[in-house]
Amino acid sequence: MSTRKKVSSNSFKTVLTKESVWERIAFSIMRFMTYFVLFCAGFLFWDIISKGSKKVFEGEGLINWEFLTDHPQTLHVIDQNGTKQKLSSTKYYLLKEEKISKKWETYIAQSKFSNQLADLSTGFDALAEATQPESIVSLQKNLLENESKSAMQKFDFWISLLNDPKLTAEDFEIRESEVIPMVSSFMKGFLSSESSRLKIIEKQLLIFKAEYFPIVSNPDLEKIAEIKLAYSDFLKKNLGLVSEHYLAKSKDLQTKAKDFLSKPTPKQLGDLVLVVEHFAEIRKIVIPDSEDFYWPMINQLLGEIQKVATVEIASKDYAYSGGGIFPAIVGTFLLVIGAMLIAIVLGVFCAIFLAEYGKSGRFLSTVRLAILNLAGVPSIIFGLFGFGLFVIFLEWNVSLIAGWFTLAIMVLPVVITASEESLRSIPQGFRESSLALGASKWTMIRTSVLPYAMPGILTSSILGVARVAGETAPIMFTAAYAKKTELPWENLEHWTDFFFQGVMALPYHIYVVSAKIPQNDYTADMQYGTAFVFLALVIIVASFSIILRNKLRKKYRW
Amino acid sequence: MTDLQKEKKKEKGSDKIAINIQGVDFLYGENQVLFDVNLDILEKKVMAFIGPSGCGKSTLLRTLNRMNDLIEDSRISKGKILIQGTDIHDKSVDVIELRKRVGMVFQKSNPFPKSIYQNVAYGLHIQGIKNKRVVDQKVEESLTKAALWEEVKDRLNENAYGLSGGQQQRLCIARTLAVEPEIILMDEPCSALDPVATGRVEELILQLREQYTIVVVTHNMQQAGRISDETAFFYLGKLIEHDKTKTIFLNPSKKQTEDYISGKFG
Repeated sequence: MSTRKKVSSNSFKTVLTKESVWERIAFSIMRFMTYFVLFCAGFLFWDIISKGSKKVFEGEGLINWEFLTDHPQTLHVIDQNGTKQKLSSTKYYLLKEEKISKKWETYIAQSKFSNQLADLSTGFDALAEATQPESIVSLQKNLLENESKSAMQKFDFWISLLNDPKLTAEDFEIRESEVIPMVSSFMKGFLSSESSRLKIIEKQLLIFKAEYFPIVSNPDLEKIAEIKLAYSDFLKKNLGLVSEHYLAKSKDLQTKAKDFLSKPTPKQLGDLVLVVEHFAEIRKIVIPDSEDFYWPMINQLLGEIQKVATVEIASKDYAYSGGGIFPAIVGTFLLVIGAMLIAIVLGVFCAIFLAEYGKSGRFLSTVRLAILNLAGVPSIIFGLFGFGLFVIFLEWNVSLIAGWFTLAIMVLPVVITASEESLRSIPQGFRESSLALGASKWTMIRTSVLPYAMPGILTSSILGVARVAGETAPIMFTAAYAKKTELPWENLEHWTDFFFQGVMALPYHIYVVSAKIPQNDYTADMQYGTAFVFLALVIIVASFSIILRNKLRKKYRW
Repeated sequence: MTDLQKEKKKEKGSDKIAINIQGVDFLYGENQVLFDVNLDILEKKVMAFIGPSGCGKSTLLRTLNRMNDLIEDSRISKGKILIQGTDIHDKSVDVIELRKRVGMVFQKSNPFPKSIYQNVAYGLHIQGIKNKRVVDQKVEESLTKAALWEEVKDRLNENAYGLSGGQQQRLCIARTLAVEPEIILMDEPCSALDPVATGRVEELILQLREQYTIVVVTHNMQQAGRISDETAFFYLGKLIEHDKTKTIFLNPSKKQTEDYISGKFG
């Protein structure tokens, strides 16, 4: 009883009204939403840091330097005695070479190898004998006969086709009017297949085709006869070319064979096999059905020896998952620095004009509206704009400078707005007293406005840095390469080439790696590792400008 | 009124006219703030402009070194201002040269956020004077004239914002003196200062009038009485009366002046 009395006597007792209930509900929703945001941010950073650090801090030592300093490579995962070993391409091939040379060393010590070498030597000598220039003449005749025989047969077939379309119409179910187009397309196809077969005289054949093109596309009896004659002439004329090529190849083959026989190494063997393959190709044309006893022998012996010079290491390959991201780090760094320099210079000049010189009026409000609109344009549109203007129209191609300008224009609205704001925040008194001391307007701006506005301008540039570094869309078409092994300063013919080359960039690299399907643990590692490094880089660049800003702020305090 | 002036001129023949304001009308856009102001300001004297807020005294002061050029759409529609016989609003006048010779000290002390030395040397630096000896000497001279040298000579390289309000205002005066003006305009130089600092600045003004023509705008009538040789009273954009300060304060000829000075309005 007494407590109840006490309560009722409390005139400050909280009463649940409708309003206070709503207030509580609203408050708890706000609280929940804030926690949700916190959770999202926490999850994002935790995700990237936990997964990314796996790549960045893996291996021996504190930091995986290979990841930070190497260029991107294919990852080869090999099974070595039950443990999986991850190797970048460079290391994988080194390992292979090592194994091959071991195998090679033991093999060439055997007597079997010296026998094989002796046999090879005989084979090559016999081949050299058979490809003397004198022996070519008869081969040429052979070639001419063979070639023209098949070609002439085809020409005769067409002539017969044109001669009696009605007859063929029954056979091919083709009406009269369709015979001519059929012949023309057939003829074109024939010339194309000839040019791919006779690689060495391909260019000449193309010229021939162009010359007789009107005939080919609209054939009749007389014209086909004409082209038949021309083609036979053409063959005769170009036969010399074929044999010349054949002789050159044979000479090449001889020197390579000599090199290998005198000092057999896996590398020399590889060279030799390549030349033999080339030679075999042309030999097939010059001597279509050669029956030299030594030729199969050479092939067989080389095959046997080649088996020794190959080692198979079973590996699963994952593109872009090995090596490092150094070129991408360098590229992003260059893109950010260049784009920010351009954006700050352009933006500050524009802001000075707007804040100090522009008379308020329609022009100025139009400019402001334009800048605001520019800020709302999606970044992919900037990418397309940069592609159209810088890459195509100005012919800068995919290059650093095109990326710089595209990114700079993208962040320009931010820089201009913030710079103008910070220029306007400089006390009018500084301007007035500067002018009263006999400064011209430009001197006034230069000495007593711009220096004090610089901290504010730098603050805006910090926001710009994060955006410039992070955007993928604008650089996709204008500056970024999916893979470029050379660093930007390597292999430059002229110093200006530096600006006209594409670079790798971290965000684009993340995109390229992420867009690879199917995903697997190795590419995911690469992806998160890159994201981690990327975040770290943005933080480093941003903190650099924050330090600079704070220094200036301390210097210019009022 | 002109007759009166002539009479006075006869009385004190040695007084040369530094600034000659002839029938000036001044407009901000459509809004006229000065109506037919005629005034002679004498060389090496202190002239005080008094009057209630919005009476146009600051505007008139700012037209004297064309600071009003900064304000868009403001103009003198009638009359002219002659300094040493030259119409300062003439197109041929180099406004930079004018401002060097007609210095200005503002209501709010506004030193640059630089060192004390840099502040005083600013005017010289922008003129391209780089010689360290010359600048050093000038800085010392100006600070001495502004009665600040003794207080700051050991910390010339410290930020000017470390100084007290009164010191800052004297620094601004020193900065103006360094450019070697002939006329110094002061727009309520003491309004933001405490009485002690005000006293120091007033003392300084009294010293400076030996060498410079000084025009002071002030709200503080006692201050006008203490420091000025002549006083002009403005009301609603019109120059009501101007005379020797003593005459204005003790024996004003116009009723409005008397009312204002005795504190009936304003």
